[in-house]
Amino acid sequence: MSNPIADARADGRTLLTEVESKQLLYDAGIAVTRARLTTSADEAAAAAEEIGFPVVLKIVSGEIAHKSDVGGVALDLADADAVREGYETMIAKVAEAAPGAAIDGISVQQMGQAGTEVIVGVTTDPQFGPVMMFGLGGIFVEVLKDVAFRIVPLEPRDAKQLVRDIRGYAVLEGVRGQAGADIDALEQLILLVSAFAWEHQEVAELDLNPVIARPDGVLAVDARVVLAAEE
Amino acid sequence: MPVDPARLERMLNPRTLVVVGDKGPTFQWLTNQKQFTGDLYSVQVDPNEIKGIEEKGFTNFTSMEDVPGEVDLVICAVPRQIAPMIVTDAIKKNVGGVSMFTSGFAETDEPEGIELQKAITEMALESGLPIVGPNCMGLYNRRLGVKFTGDLEQGEEGDVSVLAQSGTHTIGLSMALQAAGIKVSRGISMGNAIILNECDYLEYLLEDEHTSAIAMYVEGTKDGRRLFELLQSARGKKPIVLWRGGRSQAGARAIHSHTASLASSGDVWAGMLRQVGVIPVDSGDEVIDTMAALVNTKPSTKRNLALIAMTGGQSVAITDQFERAGFTVPELSQASYDRLAEFFTVIGGSYRNPFDAASTVGREEENLEKLLDILADEPAIEGGIAIEVRTQRYDKDPKWLDATMDLLDGYRERTGQPVIMLAPSGGVMSAGGASEAATKAGEAITGRGYALYSSFQRGAEALGRVVSYYEALDAG
Repeated sequence: MSNPIADARADGRTLLTEVESKQLLYDAGIAVTRARLTTSADEAAAAAEEIGFPVVLKIVSGEIAHKSDVGGVALDLADADAVREGYETMIAKVAEAAPGAAIDGISVQQMGQAGTEVIVGVTTDPQFGPVMMFGLGGIFVEVLKDVAFRIVPLEPRDAKQLVRDIRGYAVLEGVRGQAGADIDALEQLILLVSAFAWEHQEVAELDLNPVIARPDGVLAVDARVVLAAEE
Repeated sequence: MPVDPARLERMLNPRTLVVVGDKGPTFQWLTNQKQFTGDLYSVQVDPNEIKGIEEKGFTNFTSMEDVPGEVDLVICAVPRQIAPMIVTDAIKKNVGGVSMFTSGFAETDEPEGIELQKAITEMALESGLPIVGPNCMGLYNRRLGVKFTGDLEQGEEGDVSVLAQSGTHTIGLSMALQAAGIKVSRGISMGNAIILNECDYLEYLLEDEHTSAIAMYVEGTKDGRRLFELLQSARGKKPIVLWRGGRSQAGARAIHSHTASLASSGDVWAGMLRQVGVIPVDSGDEVIDTMAALVNTKPSTKRNLALIAMTGGQSVAITDQFERAGFTVPELSQASYDRLAEFFTVIGGSYRNPFDAASTVGREEENLEKLLDILADEPAIEGGIAIEVRTQRYDKDPKWLDATMDLLDGYRERTGQPVIMLAPSGGVMSAGGASEAATKAGEAITGRGYALYSSFQRGAEALGRVVSYYEALDAG
């Protein structure tokens, strides 16, 4: 199996692709959606069979920042034919919307289910080194900056406190008849990410955004790993 | 720098102290040490200054080499250009350490200051000389009478040590704690921290037998990991109240993630402090308020309180503030109400909890005694009492307050619960801010080991922070 960190270093990159980021985290036992980089419609269909339907397709290109703006995201594809068709359509749309952009392929990913969006991340603080962040996703993080931090590595007690530190914790407990999130699974995810960051101090930044928190578990549907610049 | 513990011990607990370069007309550094319990000498070469020093009764030498015996601490107050020579002499004399009041170094951002600081740092590192500062107020040691201001007490050992990255806050916090009746064991002003930094001092204070709690003022740290680990090691051992000043941002750097864009230094510090179980505060007043509650109450995780105010309006105000700080003001049992009904004056008063009590306890002392007895028996009250006390005219008529404190002593002894004293400014029974009555009453109250607050809000918040601290410890 390839080593995404070594691959990125060999290419002189600090930014891992989504597929690389997810593979790295998946290998560390962290609940992320499976993702495969494919370069043909048939390959995409085969990857989808292996991951399980429904799937999501996402364009992979270092030159495209906002995938959905150029037709580079297709959701909820239910079978192999839909994946093949989706693949061809996406290549065509992106070529039209972003002519000349170098395309590495299309990633085929497990489709996450609906739930409460949270963000789990790691950054390198100039004073304290690796620190971990947790918050509710979407508007809560964008507008209200309802996030809390802990220094890595976290103990179980810290993970427990961290998720309860944010003002929006009540949302995770369930409000207005809506089912809450699996808080234990969320704490487990946080501890695994903490252990991962502690073991891989060459990782400067890490975003799991969003993580979908549901009553029956948690799953990160997007991931980004950034390595520290080499000295 | 890896500090030699024996040398640090000598410097922080000196038996011989030398002040270098003190100047008239006040000779503040020598004068500050008037109550120093060990041997105090001056080193000064200027004949005009020597005259004044000797007139004041201090022994002067013209070189550090001439000072008899071992020197544990040097207070250096020379101009910055001379500082490297004093450091050279200190190294030659093998002193315990140097506390450098001298300023004008890297904090000026000018090349000469930066160069001088670099030179001193290199010399000290090479020879293993501990330096406090430079650009600082140095050390206070209550027991031994080492002082950065003469107004601080010398006497039996204290409870709380102050550690601050600002000379002003070191002095201000030490003085204000003393004024709140808290014995300050040590004060340390860190200055530019070229050799000894916040971690070195904290490590020492965590082991120091004369320090049971620590008040810290910190703006940043050069070694966040070590600070984090030291604070973690303090958990359950010594309470720390930490006031973080400044919200300095990290230097500009490339940011690729959401997380990095949101990680302001203030938020990361806040998370770190929660994680290690330190009590975070946002001002000097909060440091003092919190320490007063911490030092003067036994550990409690209970939030059900009895509130005793002197008027109806204050009953509402006191309840609002304590509820806002996370406390509950529960109803009492029927048995307690039956007992209260026998003597409590309900005309112009009430006793549901909060108690509107002036017309009852103001009249007869036994009534307060009865009330406290009932509260001590009451299972619904476990978190203690917050009581509005009369400080008015205390200088002329101390009887009511003294008798009240006798009874509260009994309550504390019997229940072990916190008792918080409140003399709100503007309260109908509070003496005015700086009046003789207020001062005398304040001394009497804090002198008997009670935390006293000038507003319900400050008292409620201080006790709230302390209870939260013990709750977090209890949660494991």
